Amino acid sequence: MSRLNIILLIVFVTALITITLSSPQTVARIQNGAMTVFSPFMRASNQLESGVETVGTESLSPAQLREVVDELERERNRLKLEVIQLDEIVRENNQLRRALQYVEKAPLSVVAARVISRKPSTWYNTMIIDKGKAHGIEVDNPVIVPVGEDAGLVGKVSEVVGDNSAIILLLTDEMCQVSAKLQNSQEQGILNGQRGALRTMPNLRLRYLSREAEVAPGRKVVSSGVGGLFPPDLVLGEVFSVEIGAIDAEVTVKPGVNFEELIDIFVVLPVRDPEDEADMQSESGDEDPVAVEKPASTAP
Amino acid sequence: MKFFIFVTVAFLASFIVQEFIPAFEWAYLSRLLLVHITFLAIAAAVPFPAMLLYALIGGFIWDARHHIPIYPPEATAEIFIQAELPFGFTIFIFGLTGALIQGVRPLFCKGRWELPVLMIGICTSLGLLLEYLVISFHRGGLEIPVELWWKLLMSGLFSALVSPFLLLLLSRLGARSRYRLRSKNSYRRHNYDGDAI
Repeated sequence: MSRLNIILLIVFVTALITITLSSPQTVARIQNGAMTVFSPFMRASNQLESGVETVGTESLSPAQLREVVDELERERNRLKLEVIQLDEIVRENNQLRRALQYVEKAPLSVVAARVISRKPSTWYNTMIIDKGKAHGIEVDNPVIVPVGEDAGLVGKVSEVVGDNSAIILLLTDEMCQVSAKLQNSQEQGILNGQRGALRTMPNLRLRYLSREAEVAPGRKVVSSGVGGLFPPDLVLGEVFSVEIGAIDAEVTVKPGVNFEELIDIFVVLPVRDPEDEADMQSESGDEDPVAVEKPASTAP
Repeated sequence: MKFFIFVTVAFLASFIVQEFIPAFEWAYLSRLLLVHITFLAIAAAVPFPAMLLYALIGGFIWDARHHIPIYPPEATAEIFIQAELPFGFTIFIFGLTGALIQGVRPLFCKGRWELPVLMIGICTSLGLLLEYLVISFHRGGLEIPVELWWKLLMSGLFSALVSPFLLLLLSRLGARSRYRLRSKNSYRRHNYDGDAI
């Protein structure tokens, strides 16, 4: 090896070490810049993918579309009536709460976001959304979607890359660990996904259940809320099979959320004490940048 | 000089094209790693110092776009602030695999592509395997399911299948820009048509 090559190799190794030892803040700044450059291509790729998926699907005729619109109008009118009735109930409920001096649980605030890249990274089950720092999203915020009548857990925010993008670590990844329990039971364990991003919908593993746990296939698994990271009673999946070990039981869980068809998701924002919030605002001297789009359901 | 400008543009373009390449569910979410293949093909065509430069630039851009800071479960800010796969790890992978590819550069210079193509496939899989082993090391348990081998195999296979096109592109670019491949390890010098000089 020539002297020049050796010198260049030393320069390469020095640069490599310097880059590897960069602080997380520096890395975040670099990634923010990269995301700004690449996000148009990511969006284009996602649109192309969606377009390809819809090719071959049957399109509706004008008459059928008219029918759908009529049906939706009927549904809207029915829901309007329901809202009026619910308003009445809420008013009554609030009056009763005040009368009983009921301490209200903090409501969840969520931000609606759209998935701009569904492709998993090489080794992590992740996706990228179009909301970020500018919308109040922080690392470890839970991400949910409606699953039937309930909310299902999608994962958590792994990194807020910039003002308008964040990386979500999906529940199907080994590193997204959730304290879980069997519905209508006190049996608790830790639920996690699969290492290595080998499938979009792998079965999940619920570990550390007691051997005596009454686990039957089909039983719902929900978040327990222990640890405070994830709200309680979010749908995680349902029991697929059970394995009783020498000390504990391990359950294979079929995910409740369809990870293959995620388009719109909701990021749960942390609920801050209004007094702390006011203090923070007075300290920073500017208005709250958090754009809460939809005050959502209350914590159960 | 012209050759290096073409190669740099092609390398940067591969990052954009990579965004449009899907992961295949049937192949355990393996995909065509176009950036890796382009780098390895370039590594077979350029001298060692240039290979190092491309490894540095390519690894940096790849990590800037694809790095995910997942921290080991026991990590705390005080004792451990590096992610499982630290930022810059791809530069190391590129440097290592690029150095391996340099070993078959004389063959590429002579117009023999069989081994370079095979090596590009192997190096792609090797890079991925290294990443997986580092992740497993951090998590304290080595799980090697069959699906993982398939993922590595398919990634390597995709690379080996596509690399001849990139090697052809590079050789055409070299011929157009009058870039002459030279290798000290070659006993004889050859031009791009494979003729001895």
